[in-house]
Amino acid sequence: MATKDFTTEDPRIDPLTGELRVIAPGQSFRSVTAKIADIVLTPHTSLGWLMLLSIGGSGATLLLVAVTWLFLKGVGIWAITQPVAWGFAIINFVWWIGIGHAGTLISAILLLFKQGWRNSINRFAEAMTIFAVVCAGIFPLIHVGRPWLAYWLFPYPNTMNVWPQFRSPLLWDVFAVSTYATISVVFWYVGLVPDFGTMRDRAKSKFGQYIYGMLSLGWRGSVRHWMRYETASLLLAGLATPLVLSVHTVISFDFAVAILPGWHTTIFPPYFVAGAVYSGFAMVLTLAIPLRKFYHLEGLVTDRHIDNMGKVMLATGGIVAYGYGMEVFMSWYSASHWEFFMMWNRMFGPIGWSYWVLIACNIAIPLTTLWVRKWRTNLVFMFIMSLIVNTGMWFERFVIVVTSLYRDFLPSSWGTYRATKWDYMTYAGTFGLFLTLFLLFIRFVPMIPMHEIKMMLPTAKVKPEAVEAGD
Amino acid sequence: MKPTASEYTGWDETTPKTEAGTGAMETGNEQGLTLAEVRRTLAGVKGKKYWRSIDELASTPEFEAAVLKEFPDAAQEWVDPVSRRGFLKLMGASMAMAGLAGCTKQPDEPIYPYIKAPEDLILGKSMYFATAYPFASGSVPLLVKSDAFRPIKVDGNPDHSYNRGASDPYTQGTLLDLYDPDRSQKTTYRGDNREWTAFMEAWRSKLIAAKANGGDGLVLLSTTVTSPTLARQWKEAQAIYPKAKLVQYDPVNRDAVRTVLGAKDVQYSLTGADVILSLDADFLSGSSFPGFHRLTREYAERRKLAGVAKDATMNRMYAVESTTTTTGLKAEHRLALKPTEIPAFTAALAVALGVQTTAPSYAWTDAQATYLKALAADLKANAGKSVVIAGEQQHPSVLSLALAINEVLGNTGKTVFFTDAVNPMPTVQMAELKALVDDLWSGKADWLVMLNANPVYDAPADLNFKEAMRRAKVTVHLGKHADETGSITDWQIPASHYLESWSDARCYDGTVSVVQPLIDPLYESHTAHEIVQAMLEEPTKSAYDAVRETWQPVLSKSGDFEMNWRKTLHAGWIDGSAYEKAATATVAKVDAPAPAAKEMIEVQFRPDPTIYDGRFANVGWLQELPKPVTSLSWDNAALMSEGTMERAGLAEEDIVEITVNGRKVKAPVLVVPGQPENTITAYLGYGREMAGRVGSGAGYNAGLVRTADAMAVATGASLKKMDGRWGFAVTKSHYQDHRSKFFGGEGTGNNSLEADEALTRGIIREATLAEYKANPGFANEGETHPKVERELTLFPNWDYSTGNAWGMSIDLNSCTGCNACIVSCYAENNIAVVGKQQVRIGRNMQWLRIDAYFEGDLSAPKAHFQPMACQHCENAPCEQVCPVGATVHTPEGLNTMVYNRCVGTRYCSNNCPYKVRRFNFLLYSDYETESLKLMRNPDVTVRSRGVMEKCSYCVQRIQEAKITADKENRPVRDGEIVTACEQACPASAITFGNLNDKGSRVRALHENERSYAVLADQNTRPRTLYLAAVTNPNPALEPVLEEHSPTAG
Repeated sequence: MATKDFTTEDPRIDPLTGELRVIAPGQSFRSVTAKIADIVLTPHTSLGWLMLLSIGGSGATLLLVAVTWLFLKGVGIWAITQPVAWGFAIINFVWWIGIGHAGTLISAILLLFKQGWRNSINRFAEAMTIFAVVCAGIFPLIHVGRPWLAYWLFPYPNTMNVWPQFRSPLLWDVFAVSTYATISVVFWYVGLVPDFGTMRDRAKSKFGQYIYGMLSLGWRGSVRHWMRYETASLLLAGLATPLVLSVHTVISFDFAVAILPGWHTTIFPPYFVAGAVYSGFAMVLTLAIPLRKFYHLEGLVTDRHIDNMGKVMLATGGIVAYGYGMEVFMSWYSASHWEFFMMWNRMFGPIGWSYWVLIACNIAIPLTTLWVRKWRTNLVFMFIMSLIVNTGMWFERFVIVVTSLYRDFLPSSWGTYRATKWDYMTYAGTFGLFLTLFLLFIRFVPMIPMHEIKMMLPTAKVKPEAVEAGD
Repeated sequence: MKPTASEYTGWDETTPKTEAGTGAMETGNEQGLTLAEVRRTLAGVKGKKYWRSIDELASTPEFEAAVLKEFPDAAQEWVDPVSRRGFLKLMGASMAMAGLAGCTKQPDEPIYPYIKAPEDLILGKSMYFATAYPFASGSVPLLVKSDAFRPIKVDGNPDHSYNRGASDPYTQGTLLDLYDPDRSQKTTYRGDNREWTAFMEAWRSKLIAAKANGGDGLVLLSTTVTSPTLARQWKEAQAIYPKAKLVQYDPVNRDAVRTVLGAKDVQYSLTGADVILSLDADFLSGSSFPGFHRLTREYAERRKLAGVAKDATMNRMYAVESTTTTTGLKAEHRLALKPTEIPAFTAALAVALGVQTTAPSYAWTDAQATYLKALAADLKANAGKSVVIAGEQQHPSVLSLALAINEVLGNTGKTVFFTDAVNPMPTVQMAELKALVDDLWSGKADWLVMLNANPVYDAPADLNFKEAMRRAKVTVHLGKHADETGSITDWQIPASHYLESWSDARCYDGTVSVVQPLIDPLYESHTAHEIVQAMLEEPTKSAYDAVRETWQPVLSKSGDFEMNWRKTLHAGWIDGSAYEKAATATVAKVDAPAPAAKEMIEVQFRPDPTIYDGRFANVGWLQELPKPVTSLSWDNAALMSEGTMERAGLAEEDIVEITVNGRKVKAPVLVVPGQPENTITAYLGYGREMAGRVGSGAGYNAGLVRTADAMAVATGASLKKMDGRWGFAVTKSHYQDHRSKFFGGEGTGNNSLEADEALTRGIIREATLAEYKANPGFANEGETHPKVERELTLFPNWDYSTGNAWGMSIDLNSCTGCNACIVSCYAENNIAVVGKQQVRIGRNMQWLRIDAYFEGDLSAPKAHFQPMACQHCENAPCEQVCPVGATVHTPEGLNTMVYNRCVGTRYCSNNCPYKVRRFNFLLYSDYETESLKLMRNPDVTVRSRGVMEKCSYCVQRIQEAKITADKENRPVRDGEIVTACEQACPASAITFGNLNDKGSRVRALHENERSYAVLADQNTRPRTLYLAAVTNPNPALEPVLEEHSPTAG
């Protein structure tokens, strides 16, 4: 494949390997290691990082305040009521979990599909997954009326010999989300082990050497280590791959299993998964674009990454659009009055605006523009687009949860939903928590997998000539 | 004095002692609690707080400041801790009854523990005592449930021929009134605590001094006297003090009846009435109309359609009214007229039917003229089988003419009767009150003693009673609350509740009931009997002795008095004391006045359907109860039509200033369907300043524009929009929502979206009598009338064919939407009151609600009432989604809630298609207020925060009956289990029973062809089925229901 006489004018093709370039030319093993490890190992903490951390910390504090008050008073401080008994908590839960999906998809599925370009972004995408799951996981716990009894949802042996009710999708959720969180953390950590070894070796301070040494689990970089590492990665990728599909499928069952028009629909599983990946990639973009700018990582996270992620969004956005279309179609084709009314009410009822926000943000804007490569590689455009898509995806969940519930079967019990300040505070608070965790991550953990980037360097692939060119 | 037990074993003498003994028995539960601890717990606690906002929960100083600013007169209610004495007193009661004895000094008299329990007391087993709720429109005979000597449930007396166990919202609400923590607890003189004896001393010395001049200057002002004993006492007092005066005044009184009939009352019988005409007579809404319980029953009995469909007969009702009431909405044909048009309309009808009178000439619209013509023809055709009922709060001419019409039609003696007045001292109250105020101004009144009256709040505004009252040398107020009047009188004496004191009263048909107390007074309270008795020879004779003395002659006629007395107490009434029904009476002829000009705005004052004249303002159940028609809770409003509102440039929830003859009041605007143009309805009883923690500050005081010459209707009002918005707590989706938006071409274009949907979805199924006869199975035919298909399942059905299978049937044809069932449910199931702010955002906790769907044009609506509670689906969607199995099914088909297991995911509520589940979003139940603890039903858990709850079919009653049946080794009998809602229903619209019992009523009703399941197509298979309504419209008038006839399948 790689031939010396291969020439092309296309700057996106690596002249040495003949493959599409993933990282910018001119990188070497040393430069990659230095670039990534120094972000962490520098004793200098940038002012910008500190400012962001203070913002994130304030947000996390807000969450603490909101949740404390919630525990003291009860879920009545939120807007949930009759008939809309689920509100922001469930919307945010589904939204955050959805965001997590991109990380798993990048780290697992793309690994199995040997998509090398994923290497630049998989680490922080996976970190994003974990932190998103942390944020998501808070909500099911705090949204129950008696949170001190939330552990009753777990099947633990007890003297009362009482078990959870296994037919409830909420219980399936418990399993799905806890499995997902576990696998994600393990996968992420295993991927970090070689890099922790590098960090241990490069750390100047005793403390750093000690901590990274512990974390690297005695990694020496022997061939045997590498072999086992690769096997473990593959196995974990194999385990995580079905989770990408199953977690959001199970979460969609929360709705699809119910009898409520607007929830009770078979299209939910694929449509939820696609929506999750859609919003997840949007979130990766939201994080990657400022990061690469801030830490000058343009050489490692290149325009091609941005472009590829745009394509994934285009594809998943298309699936989501199909889902919306099918919902509308089926509401007519089913000849069911319930479905028909639900869809009419969703579009034109008192909270109909939310549906149009969702259509605009998820379909109208992204699916018309993402076709253009020039815009897909325009960082400002893509950054704004990522925010739009995530807004749209939040509204998708809002539409599903609220507009299905507020006007259901008996017109006498129709009501409405108006979020309270505590709803907003809790939601904003999870952003703070997410930001805090993410900032700590980029400060203390190499945010790009050094060993995987190095494997993509031409040096690692073409020998021996490239060695001279490289290092 | 204690109640006599239901058996003939009066043990009244010893009860106070044994009561303390009860405590001794029960201390086992609460041994750790010492008196000091109880005191500490109670200090500063003033019972349940009703949140107005979340901020209030935070009790921020800013919020409290804002509250004080907003309700300056009620400020005290918020900050004043209850006096320590009051608490001791209250605690005394709770110790006696909740088992805290043993930690305090025993009384000086000898007391006896339950070495041998009283024969009729089994702890945990309730006792029932017959008594009666004295109400101005006639007493309500009751059977009150008492648990360990605490009355815990008030219900109608099932053996009494008047109400047969039925009750009404007010009566149900009196239970909470008894335990109201804001009741006045101690006699005060100008704010300082005094002993009752101090008052008696002052009162007696005044009486002795006044004896010489015949009692000149002694004035008693009472609410309508309902007690024959009090009347007797007063009569005797008058013999001694001929110049003393007793004035009766109620803001909602029966002056119209008194003007026309003098000391007679009119009684109606609807059993033989094929055609009923209500002339602003709201006899289906509540006991503010005399005879409500009986009239509702008789009305409903004629709508049961029990026999074969093709021979079915039923009554037909016409209603001519201003304010939209349930009576009007139940009527086949309702005509909305301005209040002053009603006398003229009555006169025109009278003329059309041949009554000798002159009708004021008036330009009736075509529709009104058509209505009049058809109505007259129908009445004529049903002469002798019809009844014309006149409203109590109407111009006297309406009653006068209605009686004349009845006479002409030959109804008198068949459906209309005359009796002596139910009230023992019938007077024209307004004239008396005016004279009293004149006396006060001229300084003729020395002592003004007010008995259970609150004239400072409810006397006509132009009399300025508050100032006039100050002219009296000494003012005394006997009242349950230190209310607007009691807080400014010299003496304030706590009044006993009717469940605490002896008295007597007559019900609608004149039957005497002895008002038997069930509990010693919770506070140092006294009765009007005692105050009037003080004027007599034996000044300290107790009410008990006085009542016995009154009935001694009657009860001694045949047999031993003591025996008869006990029989009376046991049964709840004195046999044979009903009035003779006469076919004739002297009816004063009153001509109908000419109506006011059509463009004049009229204000109609009406007793509130939930808090009456304000006396129930501090009863949380009744405040939170959605008013029929408007579904408004916690407020009254200026009710008007949409057209009137738009012309005045107003919107709903706007604040409008209503000016009537220079008097102004600010009121919020609410649109009511069916309200005539230029007519505003103002419910009385709101805008209380000193009602207590619940009632103070709710609504606006319509009394501010109510004057002595316009007690029912004020004309010539003007409206002015003010700044600000009110914020209503309306419990249902607003019937006006998106009226103009109809999708898919469905609906008539006139209906509200909700009504359209209710009909399209087969939630409401209705036919006319003709349609029903032609097609008896209409309720389960056609595309929009799906039926239950039991075999439509992937999984094998649970076999319910053995044992009990509980089910309920609700007859939509009988239900009048009176709300009695809801309040009954409150009391039975310890349902929490959540407060206006929580109701406003949809969190009311009522397990049972009455859904009202308005069909047709806003100006002439038809309504469908549908009681909706847990349907106990056999295929319950809620059960499947609960992750912890907190809601499960019993083999008998009950969908049960396991409160202890519930973690509060609310998934069940989302998946409940009927949305009948209620969630404790916050801590709604009051765990603090001592007096409310006494009230709770011990068989029902008090739910804490974070727990889902819902109708249980009164599972505690089912269990009790099952245990009894088990002990007697027999199956549960049909009718043995009566749910709280069923028990209260005056229309017998609700039937509960065992579907596996072939002879049960509920099974027969379930098999009735009109029986249908709401949302049958969801395959939930509810155990509650509804009987489709059938109406009987007059073909001569537009057949309004045709478009909803079932489409053939």
